[in-house]
Amino acid sequence: MLETKDIGYWYDHQANALYRNVNLQFAEGKTYAIVGSSGSGKTTFLSLIAGLDKPSEGEVLYNGRAINKIGLTNYRNKYVSIVFQSYNLFTYMSALDNVLTAMAITNSQHKGDKEYAIDMLSKIGIDQDMAKKNVQRLSGGQQQRVAIVRAMCCDAKVVVADEPTGNLDETNTRETIELFQELAHAQGKCVIIVTHEPEVAKMCDETIELKNKEFTTKSAIKA
Amino acid sequence: MNFMNRAFLNVKAKKGRTLLLTLVLSAILMFVLAGILIQNAATTAAENAKESAGATVTLSANRENAFKKLNSSSSKSKKLSLASVSVKTAKKIASSSYIKSYNITTSTTANAKSFDAIETSSSNSSMSGGPGGKSNSSSSSNSTGDLTISGVSATSTVSSFSSGSYKITSGRGIRSSDAGTNNVVIEKELAKENNISVGSTIKIKSTSGTKYTLKVVGIYKASSTSSTSTGTMQSDPSNTLYTAYTFANKLKGSKYSGTADSVVFNLSNPAKANKFIKYAKSLINTNKFSVSKDDSTYQSMLTPLNNIKSFANKIVWLVAIAGTIILALIIILMIRERRYEIGVLLSLGEKRWKVIAQFFAEMFMIMIVSLVIAGIGGKFVGSALSKQLVSQQTTTTATTTSTTGNSTGGAPSGGGAPSGGGGGNSAPSGKSGGGNMMTTAASSTSSSQLSSQLSTDVDILSLAELGGFGLSIIFLSIMLASIGIMRLEPKKILIS
Repeated sequence: MLETKDIGYWYDHQANALYRNVNLQFAEGKTYAIVGSSGSGKTTFLSLIAGLDKPSEGEVLYNGRAINKIGLTNYRNKYVSIVFQSYNLFTYMSALDNVLTAMAITNSQHKGDKEYAIDMLSKIGIDQDMAKKNVQRLSGGQQQRVAIVRAMCCDAKVVVADEPTGNLDETNTRETIELFQELAHAQGKCVIIVTHEPEVAKMCDETIELKNKEFTTKSAIKA
Repeated sequence: MNFMNRAFLNVKAKKGRTLLLTLVLSAILMFVLAGILIQNAATTAAENAKESAGATVTLSANRENAFKKLNSSSSKSKKLSLASVSVKTAKKIASSSYIKSYNITTSTTANAKSFDAIETSSSNSSMSGGPGGKSNSSSSSNSTGDLTISGVSATSTVSSFSSGSYKITSGRGIRSSDAGTNNVVIEKELAKENNISVGSTIKIKSTSGTKYTLKVVGIYKASSTSSTSTGTMQSDPSNTLYTAYTFANKLKGSKYSGTADSVVFNLSNPAKANKFIKYAKSLINTNKFSVSKDDSTYQSMLTPLNNIKSFANKIVWLVAIAGTIILALIIILMIRERRYEIGVLLSLGEKRWKVIAQFFAEMFMIMIVSLVIAGIGGKFVGSALSKQLVSQQTTTTATTTSTTGNSTGGAPSGGGAPSGGGGGNSAPSGKSGGGNMMTTAASSTSSSQLSSQLSTDVDILSLAELGGFGLSIIFLSIMLASIGIMRLEPKKILIS
């Protein structure tokens, strides 16, 4: 589904490249964890596959088509959903409006379907009353779950998440990762999570470690 | 149209910011509206001034050429010879579309026979210049009477009457239908002193000795300011009798039949005075006759109005430019504060123009409220500002007019009669010989007219114009502030 072909990235000089010739493949219905030490470039890699930035060399392919050719805005709009560590919800909206807005922007097949959005929010424990309250009145865990529902409702086949559990406690972390697993296993999406937490990596189907400018794929060790 | 919904939610949720922006935009729009209102009011007032102030063009003998001829003459007995205007020519000129009305005037003097003229303190009988210099034309006689006979085609077209300086208090004024009759309109004081009323008959004697019986058809009252002069008896406004111009000609002699001393044309549009003069000159012998315009009232009204209009125009543009800059700076700060929101929108694949459109929609919603506030407040600001401007401008104009009047007051065209004393041609004669009295009167009239005409009422058109300015201001502000949005990269905002 998603493939990197000889991609490399550097800020100023090629000699100081974060990595080069990266060739990875991501399949639908699976969860992937990208792990590595701080500053290794895992978030940058995520931004490349999410279409937030362009690789210095090589290309990212979505179903065999280079995302540059699809158009990065178009790619983000139709094929990929992003979940951030700091949730990045619209603070002037309710949880429900956040979901509805994302659905409207991305032309989700459920665009404008309020009942669907409420139903999706209730699945993660946010009832109708809570869904209509401003998101800032929700806890961190609840806000992250709203962010995940927002990604779920956008109908994108690829979901990328940057340290989604970074601000959550153990219980919320487990519940969040379970949500991602449900996205992959029940809805057939390709979920790629950047994390530095081994526990999160363990819960994913595959782990890709970025170490010494090299990506190494490891089989998941299921708990 | 999701950006509209986002804009609405944002405006609704961020009440403090919305209120602040509403106040800023209201203040900007209020001053823009005040400027627009004053500008529109000044334009309307200038248009109205054309109607109300009017301008006159006088056709009379070319005195300059007559004096030149007199000076170059080698004859010992020098006598100023002024040509009389043909009524037929005057009527031909008056058929022009530029003319609203016209007044044929002929002045002469006569002596009271069946009543007594009002006597003034000291009389200088050697002074031969009648009001406005008209008695100069009575070249048939060297002696002068104690009454001024002002022959007109209609008193209503005489500037003293049309400006309100003189008022008919009883009976009626002279009409064009009085041509050929011996009807007369006399001054109230003269009537009172001699127990004359409307319907009475009075007798006068021409300077050549012929007696005439006149029928009083009306009594007028000269304004108090006009009767303060001293001089010859006939220069006292109370001793001025208004008759049909045909009667004045009869008094002067048979050779004056079908002529006039001068003809005053009232123009329908003062701005067309020069065009009319060109037209009139093509129909007359300019060596013998001259055409002079008097649009001082119109000009005295137009000058402050143009100044006000120019000032208002500057207010509109300065406030609009300053407002755009202020608003752009506020929006730039607002956008900086909302970088994450923009980043999320971009990461969701929202197009940049829709992000900009959201900000525009937010400002548009705020502008609607601001328009209402500005519409209410702008009227008061505009009214206060226009009053201040009118006050300043009329003071400046009055001072300027007074100075100009004093400098031209000594022109040697004879007369020295108070304004209106010379009848229909008082405006031109007042300007050239009578000093600044007429111009000051015009200035005071224009001042009051200006104040009353400069109405700053808010109408739909002004609000539409304001809406246009408002839209332009927010559009430019958003565009300026959006330069930042165009450069924003979602990765740099969201992933650090």
